[in-house]
Amino acid sequence: MLHRKMCQKSAVEAGGSSGALSLGFYRIEDTTLVDAFNIPSIFDARLALYKEWHDFVFFDRRKRIFSFLNFGIYGNPYDSKRGCGFALLFFADRRGRTFAEMKLIALDKLQVSSYNPDFIGEGIEVVYLKDNSFKIKGQIGNLACNFKLPVILPPVSGKDIFLDVLNMHGTISYGMARAALEMAKLWDNWVELPRLPVSGEVTLDGTSFTIDTRTGYHDHEGGRFDWGSTWGWDTGVILCDPLIEEEPENVEFRFYRWGPSDRFSHGGVIIGMKNGERKYFDNENIQITRTGRFTNGWSVVPGITRLLYPDYHPDIPERVILSASDEPDKLKIVFTPKAVCSIVVASIYGEPDRVFNEMFCSASLNGNIGGHVYDRTIPCWFESVRPRGSVSQYAVET
Amino acid sequence: MPLKLSHFLKNLLALMKEDYHQQLQELIKDARGITCLQTLDTEKAVIQVTGRRIRITSRARKKQINVRVTLSRDCLFKILEGKITLSEAFFANELKVSGEPVTLLRCYAIWERVISLARTSPRLYFLAYKLR
Repeated sequence: MLHRKMCQKSAVEAGGSSGALSLGFYRIEDTTLVDAFNIPSIFDARLALYKEWHDFVFFDRRKRIFSFLNFGIYGNPYDSKRGCGFALLFFADRRGRTFAEMKLIALDKLQVSSYNPDFIGEGIEVVYLKDNSFKIKGQIGNLACNFKLPVILPPVSGKDIFLDVLNMHGTISYGMARAALEMAKLWDNWVELPRLPVSGEVTLDGTSFTIDTRTGYHDHEGGRFDWGSTWGWDTGVILCDPLIEEEPENVEFRFYRWGPSDRFSHGGVIIGMKNGERKYFDNENIQITRTGRFTNGWSVVPGITRLLYPDYHPDIPERVILSASDEPDKLKIVFTPKAVCSIVVASIYGEPDRVFNEMFCSASLNGNIGGHVYDRTIPCWFESVRPRGSVSQYAVET
Repeated sequence: MPLKLSHFLKNLLALMKEDYHQQLQELIKDARGITCLQTLDTEKAVIQVTGRRIRITSRARKKQINVRVTLSRDCLFKILEGKITLSEAFFANELKVSGEPVTLLRCYAIWERVISLARTSPRLYFLAYKLR
């Protein structure tokens, strides 16, 4: 809260013309309710399609360990035959090796509620503490973790982002309006914690590492839709270090797709600067190109994907180049995937599977925004969701 | 205490009757005539598809058995969790399969469909993990 206020104060003092102040609906103390599971009524007509989860992401720059943790609930939450909890631990180490374990949790062994963000399952738990921090502790297979993540900035909802963009543009941009529409179709609730320090320990196949980083991120989303009904999205955050002057305060990108091609994607990139100013590039001012084919460390869950599709490999490019221009501001980001976890989800209506590619990337950021010059390579989390299948069914135009 | 193989197969059949009745009828139609001797660690069970039903029994005439599958619990879960592929298990001699190629292909297609259904059924997942 204090940090955000300071940013806003400094931006007011700076009187920036190219940027705009961030608007916010919530306080840190609201996290407990805003980040809680939004479990639908037992009378809801689409209970079978319900899904909601926490994502936690971080990268420890000293240990060079990337982490993506997902804790969710899927299907009818009142029917233990047709609903379940899900926990996924994914890590990539300094050598680019990937470690992924997932586990389904029976509903009678899972505690989630509409009053707090807690997710307490068999041997794995996310608990929101009274001091406004998360505790994540548990073990799945050969992976174990024990983290503490204090909440230092208030939660941001989809409404905040939409108003932020409106505030920056002074008008409703086509790209973000379409992206907001696509988001609203999918998600009943969406909220993020844009920065979380993370400390604790992780054990990867018997080797333990101490984690201490300022570059954590968390989001939480839930909706009632079939996987087969979405064309997917490309979203993510560049995990900037707030104490490094040469890096932006934060960078987020969101592109939602409403058809099979990238031409049908809408959204943009938001750059937060150290003085509190923010700049939004709409997709109308952005060019995205993809080159090569990713060949580094890769994991897939659930494991039976390998049984069903032995030759399956996600169609991930070697590089994704995002070039944005909104005179006089310019930005180029080159995303290079380093490690990937593919989560293959099945439609209950028999539509083609959808694949969540959770990518740890390096993001090479070059640009000049509001007089700030950026030239840094920063770790990044990139989530690309697409239909699984042949290239012709794919949303990527390679 | 892990679930016994024959109990697992009977529970699997009951689950499919309840949740995937139509798919089960199609599977029975496609699998008619198959008698599979399944060995899991030291346990044995016979899956017999005759007429309009599947029977799980403890024995069958030697002549009737046209497919034999042998593997350990450890190997089964390594396959289900994607730690090894089916072909890796086969070439490492952890999975032994014998029978006429055409019958084996029919069996494979059937198990592939059962596994595909399992992806949207938490019941099937939890039942499978009771075997461990």
